Amino acid sequence: MPVSTNVLAGRSPARNLLAENGSLAALVVLVVALSLLSGDFLTVTNLLNVGVQAAVTAILAFGSTFVIITGGIDLSVGAVAALSAIVLAWTAADTGLPWPLATLVALAVGVGCGLVNAALIAYGKLPPFIATLAMLGVARGLALVVAQGSPIEMPEAVSHLGDTVGGYLPVPVLVMALMGVVAAVLLNRTYAGRAMYAIGGNEEAARLSGIAVSRQKLVTYALSGAFAAVAGIVLASRLASAQPQAASGYELDAIAAVVIGGASLSGGKGKALGTLVGALILAVLRNGLNLLSVSAFWQQVVIGVVIALAVLLDTLRRRSSR
Amino acid sequence: MRIHALIAAGAALTLGLTACGSSGTSSSGSAGAASGGDIKIGLSISTLNNPYFVQLRNGAEAEAKKLGVTLTVTDAQNDASQQVNQVQNFTSQNMKAIIINPVDSDAAAPAVKIAERSSIPMIAVDRGVNGAKIAQTVASDNVAGGKLAAEQLAKEIGEKGEVVVLQGVPGTSASRDRGQGFTEGIKAYPNIKVVAQQPADFDRAKGLDVMTNLLQSHPGISGVFAENDEMALGAIKALGAKAGKEVKVAGFDGTPDGLKAIEAGTLAASIAQQPALLGQQAVQNAVKAAKGEQLQATVNVPVKVATKDNLSEFTGA
Amino acid sequence: MSQAREILRVEGLGKRFPGVVALDGVDLDLREGEVHVLLGENGAGKSTLIKMLSGAYQPDSGRILVDGEPVAIRTAADAQRLGIATIYQEFNLVPQLTVGENLALGRPPRRFGFVDTRRMHEQARGMLDLVGIDVDPRTRVADLGIAQMQMVEIAKALALNARVLIMDEPTAVLTTSEVRRLFDLVGQLRERGVAVVFITHHLEEIAQIGDRVTVLRDGRSVAQVPAGTPEEELVRLMVGRPIDQQYPRDAAAAGEPLLQVRDLSRDGAFSGVSFEVRAGEVVGLAGLVGAGRTEVARAVFGADPHDSGEVLVRGRRLPGGDVRAAMEAGLGLVPEDRKGQGLVLGADIAENLGLVTLRGASRGGFVDRAGQREAAARVAAQLGVRMSHLGQEVRTLSGGNQQKIVIGKWLLADANVLILDEPTRGIDVGAKVEIYQLINSLTASGHAVLMISSDLPEILGMSDRILVMARGRLVGELDAAEANQDSVMALAVTEVEDARVH
Repeated sequence: MPVSTNVLAGRSPARNLLAENGSLAALVVLVVALSLLSGDFLTVTNLLNVGVQAAVTAILAFGSTFVIITGGIDLSVGAVAALSAIVLAWTAADTGLPWPLATLVALAVGVGCGLVNAALIAYGKLPPFIATLAMLGVARGLALVVAQGSPIEMPEAVSHLGDTVGGYLPVPVLVMALMGVVAAVLLNRTYAGRAMYAIGGNEEAARLSGIAVSRQKLVTYALSGAFAAVAGIVLASRLASAQPQAASGYELDAIAAVVIGGASLSGGKGKALGTLVGALILAVLRNGLNLLSVSAFWQQVVIGVVIALAVLLDTLRRRSSR
Repeated sequence: MRIHALIAAGAALTLGLTACGSSGTSSSGSAGAASGGDIKIGLSISTLNNPYFVQLRNGAEAEAKKLGVTLTVTDAQNDASQQVNQVQNFTSQNMKAIIINPVDSDAAAPAVKIAERSSIPMIAVDRGVNGAKIAQTVASDNVAGGKLAAEQLAKEIGEKGEVVVLQGVPGTSASRDRGQGFTEGIKAYPNIKVVAQQPADFDRAKGLDVMTNLLQSHPGISGVFAENDEMALGAIKALGAKAGKEVKVAGFDGTPDGLKAIEAGTLAASIAQQPALLGQQAVQNAVKAAKGEQLQATVNVPVKVATKDNLSEFTGA
Repeated sequence: MSQAREILRVEGLGKRFPGVVALDGVDLDLREGEVHVLLGENGAGKSTLIKMLSGAYQPDSGRILVDGEPVAIRTAADAQRLGIATIYQEFNLVPQLTVGENLALGRPPRRFGFVDTRRMHEQARGMLDLVGIDVDPRTRVADLGIAQMQMVEIAKALALNARVLIMDEPTAVLTTSEVRRLFDLVGQLRERGVAVVFITHHLEEIAQIGDRVTVLRDGRSVAQVPAGTPEEELVRLMVGRPIDQQYPRDAAAAGEPLLQVRDLSRDGAFSGVSFEVRAGEVVGLAGLVGAGRTEVARAVFGADPHDSGEVLVRGRRLPGGDVRAAMEAGLGLVPEDRKGQGLVLGADIAENLGLVTLRGASRGGFVDRAGQREAAARVAAQLGVRMSHLGQEVRTLSGGNQQKIVIGKWLLADANVLILDEPTRGIDVGAKVEIYQLINSLTASGHAVLMISSDLPEILGMSDRILVMARGRLVGELDAAEANQDSVMALAVTEVEDARVH
């Protein structure tokens, strides 16, 4: 059976390639297709726009990458982002706290939400899905309470995060790049990062190898909360206004970005670079749909299909690695 | 053991706090009903998380006070099933009429049928009810609002040029009606061309992103119609210095932030609904229904164009 | 049993995976009513071969004949149609469903469109009678013992009219009496003309149950011999060289006590356990499954808490339930469940070897990954791990090599006292001897080893002293020199009078 020999010999490396670089390949295909379909797509300005539009999702998704690598899930990131931004704007506007302090308070709120999540998960033994779903409600509700349901103006100094450097390079893109590097270094070079992979790969083996699993989960979810706070601040800065309903539903975009980027929802796998690619795919897609004037209803279909493909990629990878 | 006690205490505390917090809203309006005290009216509001509906409630309460009837207001917290329970409770409290501000037009039908069985007249306010018969619907005329927006925007850009539309959440009645009104209205101006219609889900951040993208493919536009003020404010952010100058933006709703933008000159106009008037009309007609009078099927509460010239009318209220 | 007819024949079967040749010309013939033992080290190709017979893999070369006709087995359904059933070590049962539902899975009897539960359970009853186990078909599979699950699997296979039954290490998880019952059943199947392919690592079982033996080595079938072939000869065929000593223990002089356990108790698990392990010693911990050996080991290591008693390492008392403290004092645990508790299967070799030393190799939160890799490379070479490179996923390694990795991470951490729980379970002879030699070199350099094993020859052959547990208590200590299987078993089945603890 010479034919089947070739097919069999050729299949696994091709699959491996798909698994290793599947998301990057998809991004390239998407970019090439859009460049052909729309003359407005492949311009420096538009690509920078895509970067800006990916920034908030990407920063949230970097935080979610940590959590998903440990085999958990964080549904609260969008709500925590909104709460942190509201707290920043509120403390600066209503209590007159100087903006650097208000920013620190906002970051502390993000970290605090993450710590509560982790405490419920690691010590309360709640499933991450439930613990963070509860936090989603609490954080969103608190954002509405603090803001009394209305948007609050962001301090001007912080709003520069939504501007450009020299009228050209958008700050959100720089923040995204910075957070991406931080996430990559954390994951690759630090004890906390390596522990995340071990916990997600096999929690009991990690524990029996002396990794303090509960403590590392605190670190993981606190990082997710901190990244969410940064994302929330960037989002509010772009609008110059903190909104209690901002970033609702973004947790699903973040999870989609992480999974498109090659992480496995069962834990142990994932990369910061992959997550960036995942966030870029979503942003490129939305940008392209606007440029092509695709109708409102079809946009949802297309985005749904891409997310389904992301999950397919995940299962395909698992199958090929078995 | 200690942890259990702690959790229990925490739960009790949370419940207690929220109970205190909500009692203020659910029983308000019952005061001042000295003379006409035997007419009791229930109002179930979709949510009080949104200033728009708070204004609607305030208008209703003011009217109830004026007419001397007892008004009980409940907050369904955007939960359609909770709203059904609230209407059910109203029927057992012997309300003479019930006003519903549906969480969802379709999901409100069971609630209406409950009231129907108890022969209590029911009035829908702000949103209609599908699939059940009600005495009256009091709502803003979104289609007329869309038309008004088209006329106002045309005037602002000199009745010519390219415009784009930022749509709300696809499939919602607000987005449908406002878009339809705008499309009909803009037809009267042959020199204006709608070059793109894209959804931004009534969300400010999405309004910013979608407008940024549309500027790439349509850099020469002179007007934007956003189906609510939030998206309009996002679009203004994307337009930057162009907003209010080369490109005129029209919004919808007349929110406080929208009115501020009108004052600053970045937003050209906003189609303001009058939530307080909606609440007032609903109560007025509910009292009529309670007294057994026949009602017309719909009351269209007019919408108004807010511009820099008449801003004081809106900021005062 | 007249002249046995040939049912299945495999000729020159080959299969390659990227970078690996799994099978390179395997021949096998199977007759009606015979038990054919498939023997080979892990990685010799046994699993690949049975996966091709059951339709999970397709051969690259060679052919399979059933009743003399060449066949293509592309799917599990093809295998089923040809009457080939496989019982893997991981059972194909749904734990949440009842025995009856499992037996009827996919084709339950129906009445008016509904599952006819009564008839389903009656049919199941009949199938269970066939394998001779007395289980209520309404029992949930999760509530069954492992031996009963196996019987249910066999019943399922028979219900599909299997003529060829492939059993992958069926005895690995069974107790002695359960093994006896399984052999009775296999005997009956043989009478009925079923051909059984039997995989085992226990050489002594071959003469008991088998008729013929096919030995695989490095993906080839190297010999076909009668089941009565002497064990040494079988080992030589399997490993490719003679193994002069199966248990090469070099006893070292015992030094100071490194690990002392005093009166350790946990309600419902074990009570009053006291022993010590000295430098240079291998102490074997024997007993029946469920005697509490693993529980004691985990409590000593701090993986689980204990209620009373103390654990001392070099005279220093350990806090209970604290893995980190136990590690820092110099303890290491190689757990019983290698895949579930010992390894991060999806991570690579270097990552797994560096797991224990990860914290030590961190400065200011940053890991010295280059240093970790170097150390991993050193240990992997020292242990003779057979791998393509350090970045290979441990999932893809054979059982013996995986176990070397688990032990290796403690070597890297330089643990003074190593607790090995069933260190050679499911590992072939060649790799076993390598692990024994590793134990020797550890004790020679002054380390101490506590070894739990259900394999009595291993306990007898490798320990210096033997502790025996029964029903959560330490019931005896024997000097390895004077102990034999009977004396250990006599202690292990001791009925401990129900001491009223607490």
